[in-house]
Amino acid sequence: MARLATILRALIQAQTRDQKSILSLAGNNLFITSIFVMGPAAGVFIYIIFGLIILFPLSTDPMRKIPASRLSLWPLDRREHWILRALSPWVNPMTWAIAALAIWAAKGKASVGLLSLAAGLVVSGFVLSSLPIPRSGGLWRHVPKFPGPLNQLIRKDLRGMLSTLDVYCALLLSLSTIGFRLARLPIPREALLIITVLVVVALSNYAQSLFGLDGENGRVRYALLPLQGWRVLAAKDIAFLLVIVPLTLPLAPISGLAGALIALAIGHRNSVNIRPTGIRWRFSIGIFLMDGFQQVAGIAIATSLVFLYSPLFLIPCIAACAGSAWWAGRTFDLLLDN
Amino acid sequence: MIACRNLTRSFGDFKAVDNLTFEVKQGTICAFLGPNGAGKSTTLKMLTGLLAATSGEAEVCGLNALSNSVELKRRIGVLPEDLGLFDDLTIEEHLSLTGSVYGLDKQTSRTRTDQLLRVLSLEHGRNTFAAASSQGMRKKTAFAMALLPNPQVLFLDEPFEAIDPVTSKVMRDLLQSIAARGVPVFFTTHILSAVEQIAAQLIMIRQGKIVWDGPVADVPVSLEQHYFDLVEAPVLEELEWLGSPRS
Repeated sequence: MARLATILRALIQAQTRDQKSILSLAGNNLFITSIFVMGPAAGVFIYIIFGLIILFPLSTDPMRKIPASRLSLWPLDRREHWILRALSPWVNPMTWAIAALAIWAAKGKASVGLLSLAAGLVVSGFVLSSLPIPRSGGLWRHVPKFPGPLNQLIRKDLRGMLSTLDVYCALLLSLSTIGFRLARLPIPREALLIITVLVVVALSNYAQSLFGLDGENGRVRYALLPLQGWRVLAAKDIAFLLVIVPLTLPLAPISGLAGALIALAIGHRNSVNIRPTGIRWRFSIGIFLMDGFQQVAGIAIATSLVFLYSPLFLIPCIAACAGSAWWAGRTFDLLLDN
Repeated sequence: MIACRNLTRSFGDFKAVDNLTFEVKQGTICAFLGPNGAGKSTTLKMLTGLLAATSGEAEVCGLNALSNSVELKRRIGVLPEDLGLFDDLTIEEHLSLTGSVYGLDKQTSRTRTDQLLRVLSLEHGRNTFAAASSQGMRKKTAFAMALLPNPQVLFLDEPFEAIDPVTSKVMRDLLQSIAARGVPVFFTTHILSAVEQIAAQLIMIRQGKIVWDGPVADVPVSLEQHYFDLVEAPVLEELEWLGSPRS
């Protein structure tokens, strides 16, 4: 049993670290916006989306943390394997949460429907995590090709961005509008503006950590490629815009584009100077509170100006983004030298 | 040609590379040997512009190697220590990226990619993402990326480690034919047999300092003995518990 206890302790440690990375949500621009700017009723909608988005990664099978080859090499007999299988789900706090919910439901303090929904989501997350889903770009193998020498860099960045939770949070916001349109429910014009801002804000943390998924290997390759920094950033910006534009199509795409350009213009600096590390299937790291506020304010202003007054306000947004990419690109080149 | 004079790199008080001065002439294959932590990779990083030097000078292809200029990057091929591969690109996409970034036309890039994938036995894995590839496949990919633009100088950090014997032979043959056409090749390794097979020049370092620089043919004893004598002798200690009955 001492062996099993040691393995379970290691699993608890790994699970705790993993959950800390999921809770990077605390510095997320959309989360902060929902707390400080939105009223309780509107905020609840955002929290439900966050709940759905983070429940899956939180519900992963803890046994996935042990490499299969290592598990089969350990001198554990059949009985110990079964005990480990049976006990390991309890390493995950989500299992305890569902058990507590079940007790409340039995006492009539929570509805059976809520219990079924939560348990269903957790079990789905648990089962899905056991499936052989590719760790990196494999899920998005068939992204389109682009003309020019930046083709493969854009494709890489697109695949990287599509493996962050930010995109799916923005997608749910965007889909909610499509749902309204399909149901032929009237959508106030101002609501389109607000949801557009929210979609861009949901993705704005990624604009602060554009190199997050490249890692040290990526830094080395960028240093070796005969490419100037601004071109590396251009590939990343194009990938970012290629995700945002379709998401804002059912909303206010030109206004969304303006907001996205401003998110990038403000985000370049942190992306290059601080280079926050990103983790796949997690929210992009958002630890820079002041920059986050600047981004949210900038996105709101740019989006509103284009939406309420004129698409011509897009021009200064393009100039700001291009200027910022050029400046951050120079810094990027200098940092690579050291 | 590769040349450096008094090249030094310090990390705080620690001198990882201490006053290195050497030269590698056109068409020479130079092996750079030393134990782990001796400063091999640090030197290679400085020569390829990946790391700034604390002091000293380095020249590659007639350009200042420490400037990390785009022009220098265009002329050299590098297999870096950590390979520099992107998880989100397949093996073939890495080569396609190299071709387009180095300005090769599509047809040339395609032809060279197919040839390199074939000779390095990477064809079966061309559509595999780097993150899902074995260490050997990853290394071969990075090696192919170094060769694809037809560089004027080649820098390779431990190219033969984790490589199967057949591909290792192919790589050695490729390096010899490149060198025969006048391209200097500078590589680090721990595999002494590879040094004996292809290198003409040998540089050995210990604690950041050169302890030997000369032709491989001038090594007075076996290369292994020479290495033990100058760089590091093996620690001979009997582990009595190993293989004894378990308590």
